[in-house]
Amino acid sequence: MAKSLCLSRGCFTNLVTCAWWFAGCLLVSLNPAAGQQTDALHRIQQSGVFRWGADREGGGPFVYPDPNDPVRLLGFEVEIAELLAARLGVEAQFCQGQWDKLPDLLDRGDVDIVLNGYEWSANRAHRYGTSVPYYIYELQLLGRASDPAESWEDLFRLPRKPRIAVLGGSAAQDYLQTLYPDRVDIIQYEGATDAMRGVELALDGLDANLQDLPVWTFYRGSFTRLKALGDPVGRGYYVVLTRKADSALLQVINDTLIDALRDGRLRNIYTKYQMWNTTQAQRGLETNPTGGFVGDARQPADAVDSETETTDYVAVRGWGVIWQRGWLLVRAAGMTAVLAILAMPLAILIGLLATLLRLYGPRWLAWLPISYIELVRGTPLVLQLYVLFFLLPELGIAIGAFWAAILGLAINYSAYEAEIYRAGIQAIPRGQIEAAQALGMSRWLTIRRIIVPQATRIVVPPVTNDFIALFKDTAVCSVITVVELSKEYYIHARSTGAIVELGLLTALLYLAMSYPLSILATRLERWLHRERQE
Amino acid sequence: MIEIRQLVKRFGKQTILDHVSLRLPDGQVSVLLGPSGSGKSTLLRTINGLEPFDSGEIWIHDEIRLGEAGSPGRDDAVAAIRRQVGMVFQQFNLFPHRTVLQNVVEAPIYVLGKPRGQAESRALELLDQVGLRDKAHQWPSSLSGGQQQRVAIARALAMEPTAILFDEPTSALDPKMTAEITSVIKELSSMGQTMIIVTHAMQFARRVAKQVSVLHSGHIVETGTAEQVFDAPQHALTKSLLAQEAD
Repeated sequence: MAKSLCLSRGCFTNLVTCAWWFAGCLLVSLNPAAGQQTDALHRIQQSGVFRWGADREGGGPFVYPDPNDPVRLLGFEVEIAELLAARLGVEAQFCQGQWDKLPDLLDRGDVDIVLNGYEWSANRAHRYGTSVPYYIYELQLLGRASDPAESWEDLFRLPRKPRIAVLGGSAAQDYLQTLYPDRVDIIQYEGATDAMRGVELALDGLDANLQDLPVWTFYRGSFTRLKALGDPVGRGYYVVLTRKADSALLQVINDTLIDALRDGRLRNIYTKYQMWNTTQAQRGLETNPTGGFVGDARQPADAVDSETETTDYVAVRGWGVIWQRGWLLVRAAGMTAVLAILAMPLAILIGLLATLLRLYGPRWLAWLPISYIELVRGTPLVLQLYVLFFLLPELGIAIGAFWAAILGLAINYSAYEAEIYRAGIQAIPRGQIEAAQALGMSRWLTIRRIIVPQATRIVVPPVTNDFIALFKDTAVCSVITVVELSKEYYIHARSTGAIVELGLLTALLYLAMSYPLSILATRLERWLHRERQE
Repeated sequence: MIEIRQLVKRFGKQTILDHVSLRLPDGQVSVLLGPSGSGKSTLLRTINGLEPFDSGEIWIHDEIRLGEAGSPGRDDAVAAIRRQVGMVFQQFNLFPHRTVLQNVVEAPIYVLGKPRGQAESRALELLDQVGLRDKAHQWPSSLSGGQQQRVAIARALAMEPTAILFDEPTSALDPKMTAEITSVIKELSSMGQTMIIVTHAMQFARRVAKQVSVLHSGHIVETGTAEQVFDAPQHALTKSLLAQEAD
């Protein structure tokens, strides 16, 4: 769960470098915290809302959809966020973001804190405000129950290098790379539960998974073909991240966490998610109501008392999951449709203007549309979205994720639409333009009345093709926190394991959107060429 | 009167029109004859600015002077000429995405700014004149070549032109359709419409021409009334063109 800071920051720095080149602008200095003059604490108290960033795709026990009511969020971090909000006297508001992009959301000012299994590291502490640890985590090696290996040593006795799955960029990956740089093959997975599933299925010859212990404890019931190998290793700290400047907010978070540890509220939360263990108890911060040290008076075994019920994660599996969560996918499909339907007309408009400028604009300006098309077409959509979303606020332009997604998709597709329109315009017989000229029509009038309408008839099939492609490309928007159909699918597939069932429904939803579109396009084409029917 | 003075048009090293001078009088049909490659279509297209030229000038009614490509005021002159000189093409070039009526009213509404109702009633009159009023709401692609060309003539007439240029108007048509066009042109001629027609169809030329000029390799080799040129050709090329027709 805890990815290394240097990795995601390094990635961000590279992208920002590209962004300068992208924008061709060297005037504004790069200050990631620009625009965050006053302490967030002040803003939170003013607005009455405390925004915390996390990724519910990461799953249990951190933040995950309630198995019985998928709209509700559960997880120990949800409860910690509520503790913090109560102390601040405001409402807690969950903000969805892709896990490795959460610090960037903090920089953008979209969230006040990141609370999502981020481990403490010197790099991270240098870059962000880091709270006192709210949990001490360890890493657990997991193997297949059917395999003979019982420990790390057994794995190393294999005739070849053991293949170990980790969450890409996580603390587990750092641990393996630091301790056993030459003795193991590291296979990176995108989701914590995907890595466990990979070991169960022996994908790619996987031998084991090095997993955050809380994740293993939480999902143990769903992965009965796995077993723990040896004792937990690689202790580390989960901390809350704030912006460096928000020291007053950080102080309140620290006080709240220490108080909650002292009076046992954190223990109750961790007990509920079966995360309380001797490692936590050994912090020795707990006191009784009169202020005395509790010591060993409450053993982990006693922790399950009458008022604290534990949460066992039992996800609905099989086809029942469709009834329970299908409507969430349908709702997310609505977002996909809205993104595509708003982005495509914009893309066509920008593309058409770029092509008209290229073909009919002043010659000294022709480089502009040509370089625009080459630049946009030659760089990946995900990069463009990322740059738009994270660069614009640094330039002082506030843009929400939804509109950044639409703008990014529109810009990306405009390059393709421009080329399609160019081909369409060039397919119009020269005589059409001469006839218009001979009738005294100006250049602009000819473009508007003769060229564009005729080119439009020609380009309907390829533009429809792109529209359908755009529908599917909306999936990329999850990198800038927009939850659309694919992201919603990952969230529920990873938390329930119903990969096939929900996958089929998701595919069906995509098809249900793209197929009527094809039919509509055929009708439109026929209508535009209505003279052919007579 | 359209007057062409010392017109030179080059294409690379090749000279397409070599110091051509020609007067095209008002109120009658002038025909430009010549074998293919003689430059007759190019000459016609210089008049309304579709083809630029290298030197010389063209005067329209002693009012508008059209100079060589890039000369000052050329764009304005082209715009002014196109408002009063219409054109009919070999391939008709009707707008396929507009109905017959829409083709005819397009320029009156969007170039001259006429009210739609007025433009449409005039268009219907013109379609009546070329015998196609009943096709007003059809698509050009549903019409025969001869019908399309008659719509193209109506489209040119809708601009109330002082002159109409015809670029090989019958080359894409069979004899029956050519006859349709011939009768429309003869009727317009009787109404005093100035028309300049490029053709290599001799029979068609004989039926409609008042003045005939013969081009050869960028030069005008002979100009005269239709009777003079057809009955007593002076130049060897004219004679051979007439001989081909007899075959």
